[in-house]
Amino acid sequence: MKRNILKKWGILLLAILLLSACNFTGSSDSGETSTSGEGNTSDDATTGNEEKVLNLSMENDIPDLNQVTTTDGISFDILNNIMEGLYRLDAENNPQPAMAESVDISDDKLTYTFHLRDGIKWSNGEDVTAHDFVYSWLRALHPDTSGSYSFILSDYIVGAEEYANGEGAEEEVAIIAEDDKTLVVEIKEPTPYFLGLTAFATYFPLNEDFMNEVGTQFALNHESILYNGPFVLTEYDQAMGVTMVKNDQYWDIENVDVDEVSMKVIKEKSTELNLYEAGELDRITLSSNDVNEFKDSEEFGTETEFTSWYLQFNLGKAPFDNENIRKAFQLAVNPEILATNVLNNGSEPAYSLLPPDMQGIGDQSFREIAGEVIEPDFDIAKEYLEKGLEEIGGELPEIEILTADDTVAKDGATFVQSQVKENLGVDISIVTKPYSGRLDAMREDDFQFVISKWGADYNDAMTYLDLWVGDPASAFRGNYHNPEYMDLVYQAKEETDEQKRIELLIEAERILLEEDAVLGPLYYQGSAYLQKTHIQNLVVHPYGARLDLKYVTIN
Amino acid sequence: MKKFILVRLVNILITLFLIATLTFFLMKTLPGSPFDEEKLMNLSEELRMEFYAKYGLDEPLHIQYFKYMGDLVQGDLGLSYYYKEQPVSSLIMDRLAPSALIGLQAVVLGLSIGIILGMVAAFRHNTGWDYFTMIIAVLGVSVPNFVLAAFFQFYIGLKWGILPVAYWESYDHSILPTIALAVGVIAQIARFMRNEMLEVLQQDYIITAQSKGLGDWVVLIRHAIRNAMIPIVTILGPVVVSLLTGSLVIENIFSIPGIGSLFVDSIKMNDYTTIMGLTLFYSAFFILTMLIVDILYGIIDPRIRVHGKE
Repeated sequence: MKRNILKKWGILLLAILLLSACNFTGSSDSGETSTSGEGNTSDDATTGNEEKVLNLSMENDIPDLNQVTTTDGISFDILNNIMEGLYRLDAENNPQPAMAESVDISDDKLTYTFHLRDGIKWSNGEDVTAHDFVYSWLRALHPDTSGSYSFILSDYIVGAEEYANGEGAEEEVAIIAEDDKTLVVEIKEPTPYFLGLTAFATYFPLNEDFMNEVGTQFALNHESILYNGPFVLTEYDQAMGVTMVKNDQYWDIENVDVDEVSMKVIKEKSTELNLYEAGELDRITLSSNDVNEFKDSEEFGTETEFTSWYLQFNLGKAPFDNENIRKAFQLAVNPEILATNVLNNGSEPAYSLLPPDMQGIGDQSFREIAGEVIEPDFDIAKEYLEKGLEEIGGELPEIEILTADDTVAKDGATFVQSQVKENLGVDISIVTKPYSGRLDAMREDDFQFVISKWGADYNDAMTYLDLWVGDPASAFRGNYHNPEYMDLVYQAKEETDEQKRIELLIEAERILLEEDAVLGPLYYQGSAYLQKTHIQNLVVHPYGARLDLKYVTIN
Repeated sequence: MKKFILVRLVNILITLFLIATLTFFLMKTLPGSPFDEEKLMNLSEELRMEFYAKYGLDEPLHIQYFKYMGDLVQGDLGLSYYYKEQPVSSLIMDRLAPSALIGLQAVVLGLSIGIILGMVAAFRHNTGWDYFTMIIAVLGVSVPNFVLAAFFQFYIGLKWGILPVAYWESYDHSILPTIALAVGVIAQIARFMRNEMLEVLQQDYIITAQSKGLGDWVVLIRHAIRNAMIPIVTILGPVVVSLLTGSLVIENIFSIPGIGSLFVDSIKMNDYTTIMGLTLFYSAFFILTMLIVDILYGIIDPRIRVHGKE
């Protein structure tokens, strides 16, 4: 009997212990949060007009808010709203002065002199200075502290690559703070999109004193980050989400309409939809199953991002070492059916490599200037196939298409399989691997053709065209090596005249797709969403740090 | 008894060592690395190797293995690759609490209702009570808990607004997931309890007790339950472990920051240290629970008591 009593008390004790360990309503260390449910107005706020609260969700945990080491979209989405670089992208993805007030660019377009704005402050009230940028950028390059995005600095800034390799000295990196308000940066080649780069997370500033104070604890909780963006975090739990409130030290606070934003981790799409319908979320992305049900709602919308999906042929493996067979496969697939009937998730059919809204010159997009490159045509595809078969001796080897194992990629592969069967009369089989297995197979040259994708790092054609330079040729890019193509890209990198530069890049894309048929365009990745009508100006950029909440207004 | 436990503990250590070794090498055969490989392709081969070197991933496998085991012996599970700079041990503890709370509630709820239902069904054998219990049991076993979870979420949460739809903000948020998990336990326990009670109630000693003139309840409580509990204890071990260590689907449906989803995510992300930490944690937890179950046998039924007793 005694034992029973012990057992009972033990269980009770354990339960109490667990309950206290669960610390509901976010972290226990944020003393100011109220204890009751969700989305309520906090007590410590100035009473009077109603708080404007925005409720969003994230589809996964937040792995890492260290702006230098992080690589995932969710962390970037948060960082973009709590931090700010020299420039910030506006709703049209054009860089606008942010921490910087203006910039002087030298005639050879290689030296950028940034003038910092007056009254820019960290969330602890200290001034943001040019030294904070120097410190942060050097830190992002240093081998001990850098992450996999260090290339976005080292590819451009003079002396940065050597420093990142551990060969060059700090003094040789051309990032110089002339005084607290002036930052001078020298870059290697004329780069029309450099200002846009300074809006990206790796280019955000960091305060040296603060960093020394927090040490390895940096960005592990909301108190170990120093903010300079429109919002600051008041709660941060990797598995649950974040709460942000307006940053009262932010220079442009008059133009920030939202008082509080909560971003919750909701992994299940159906749960997200239920929460949206219960009014607990203001915006969600839809799974393709739900698209038809909500298609006609005024809350429904779609958007595409700068992520292109394509067939990558391996020029080193039969039968795709034959140009005509590549062309046959390229023209035999109709992206329109794939995007609208099969995927049905807001994706757009692709007839070229570069996504539609990517920057060209001025107000014109690259696509508007260049037009579409590939036009699927099953009859011509058959002709190419016959020609190719003659050249290789009449018989196709067994053909396998490699794909990652997520639903969307697999749907794409199945679609290509059926199109090739229908339009060319060729049977191919599908090899499915996990995402990283697909990457490994590609790197090890173990594929014939593959469904692959690339998401832009910055808003310029170079982010794509640079990949196939093939110097040296890599299996990952289909063993492609064409000196003509390489020259065009290298010339474009040195060209200071924007018109000529774009022409070179247009020609490069044409050679890559039309002449050499290295890729078969499939679609531009998109998503369908529902958004409450009282939420306006919520900007989602198509690349990089995507979510921008600075401009949101709530009516 | 002491010797028995001691021998078992040594066995447990050997088992854990084997599990750690096997998991380590199997895990390393997974393709990819904990990093965003597609972005790393942008770096030159040299820089990429340097990047791996920073995390000690460029070394030969056996060196990595000995290093890991060396740290492990000192009780250090290492830092997570994916959740950068975070110790795996604190990651596990953070995520365990919500899963364990829901799991424990589900065990307590499932066990108490299941035992009562099973007893009633056996005592009122072949009556409406019995049929009712069996219908519940069959439904509970055959309807998967995620279907129930989605059903509860939609009706109780969204349509009727009685309880929160999802997320983890207050105690109320733990109720629906608990019930969704408990239904299966209720069904399982009820069936076992009923069958076992039916058997026990026909034993000679029960008839003896009844013929001595003892009342129904006294017979039930003094003589029947204790004997009927043995199979329950047997299945209790695995049930407790699986519930307390989290259910991926239930956690995802109700957006609970639990340990089940951490495990799946860590495998998806190739987060080596977290995979190892969680596997070892699960194994240790399971083995220890089994040990406790074995000890409980002895308490409930002296016949099973292991040799070496005083």
